[in-house]
Amino acid sequence: MTEVTDCQACAQTARGLTCGVYFCAHGLTRRVGERVLFSDLSLTVNRGEVVVVQAPSGAGKTLLLRLLAWLDPADAGSVELEGVSPPRMGVPTWRSRVVYVGQRPAPLRGCALDFLREVQGFASHRRGRDAVEIAQGWGMAKENWQQPFAKLSGGEQQRLLLAMALSQEPDVLLLDEPTSALDAAVVDTVERTLRGCTAVWVTHDAEQARRVGTRVMELSP
Amino acid sequence: MTGPVPISAWGLAGAAALIAINGGLSLWLRLRLERRLLIASLRTVVQLLLLGYLLVPIFAWRNPFLIGATCLLMISLAAREAVRRVGRSYGGIGRNAFFALSLSATVTTLLAVTVLVGVEPWWEPRYLIPLLGMILGNSLTGISLGLDRCLAELDEGRDRVEAMLAFGATWWEAARPVAAEALRTGMIPILNTMSVVGIVTIPGMMTGQLLGGTPPDMAARYQILIIFLIAASTAAGGTLAILLTLRRLFDSEHRLRHDLLVRR
Repeated sequence: MTEVTDCQACAQTARGLTCGVYFCAHGLTRRVGERVLFSDLSLTVNRGEVVVVQAPSGAGKTLLLRLLAWLDPADAGSVELEGVSPPRMGVPTWRSRVVYVGQRPAPLRGCALDFLREVQGFASHRRGRDAVEIAQGWGMAKENWQQPFAKLSGGEQQRLLLAMALSQEPDVLLLDEPTSALDAAVVDTVERTLRGCTAVWVTHDAEQARRVGTRVMELSP
Repeated sequence: MTGPVPISAWGLAGAAALIAINGGLSLWLRLRLERRLLIASLRTVVQLLLLGYLLVPIFAWRNPFLIGATCLLMISLAAREAVRRVGRSYGGIGRNAFFALSLSATVTTLLAVTVLVGVEPWWEPRYLIPLLGMILGNSLTGISLGLDRCLAELDEGRDRVEAMLAFGATWWEAARPVAAEALRTGMIPILNTMSVVGIVTIPGMMTGQLLGGTPPDMAARYQILIIFLIAASTAAGGTLAILLTLRRLFDSEHRLRHDLLVRR
């Protein structure tokens, strides 16, 4: 069981006021079967902050990000961006502003460009930057977008999906080991691009945590 | 009109003996299908003889309530069979399949007996029951293939669907490709049938009518009618079953509820 309470403003939320923090979660509780993965977990992220989440495997890091993205139901608790919860904001709009990038690249059909076009067709889509250009900065050629996605290496897939996430100019990024399949030189350029983003960043790499994190949050199993 | 030549019990026994070929092959190649073969053969005999004898009073008495009850039983059995063939399940799948199958098969069958063929009275069992049976039998194949594909896409393709949701897709934006793929799969058998019918195969119903002495051109018309009815019912029933399934497996907050899926 985990208890992390680093939000001084929880009391305000309890009184029905928003806590004034940019992105926050309060009292998140999630059980899987009999097991309590975390209970009453709170988290606050100010604009421009990168909160690094560190925990041993199986402590529920991925699940935490999925709860924040509203992809999994929590047993209790709330999440807010600028004082607005996902149901009030509209869940698709929430997910276009709080973008989750999973650890394992999704096995897309066809090429990444097909998927990008599909994403750009969503009602909630926010056209921001050019995904192809972002990925170019990470050594991905334009042609890579038109190759069968399944034929790309794990690292290439990871970069294309991350570029798509960034292209929406999300308010908060939820990153689950976003550079796990990249080599050191590329990791460096990706980290540089992500500088200045507001993010909750899960990483195993203590060095990376020191480089990118403005704050570290530890989950214990 | 002349009826078919009656088949004697000896004739049936001779046909059953042919199954010995399957049994011999199974033993020789160690397919270990003997048991299943025996059970399947017995089921064929019992089920069809029973059906034949049951239809005698239903056709003779022409009691609308008895006919209605028979139709309901047929639909229930078809829905159960449709679900049984699906590799995954969720709570309420049987109800959804029953609803989809009953609505699509009932509407198309009623349209056939009342308007397209114009039987008097419309519930004349000699028309209603075989038409419904054929529409059900084919629609259930389409529905079960469609459902199977739909659930497989949501299970094995979970990461793909959730990637779309994570990028801001509404449940329908994420589910639409799944629905399309599932419906396409469900429609394949009837589309295949429609393209080879008459060239490679003489379908069962037409064969039956020919043996019964119906002129070939009239038998062909009936066959065309039934194929279109089957195609319509498969499409409508498949769409309905898939939509009900997707609506159940995505919640009101645009989340894929993978936890509701059960593998079998």
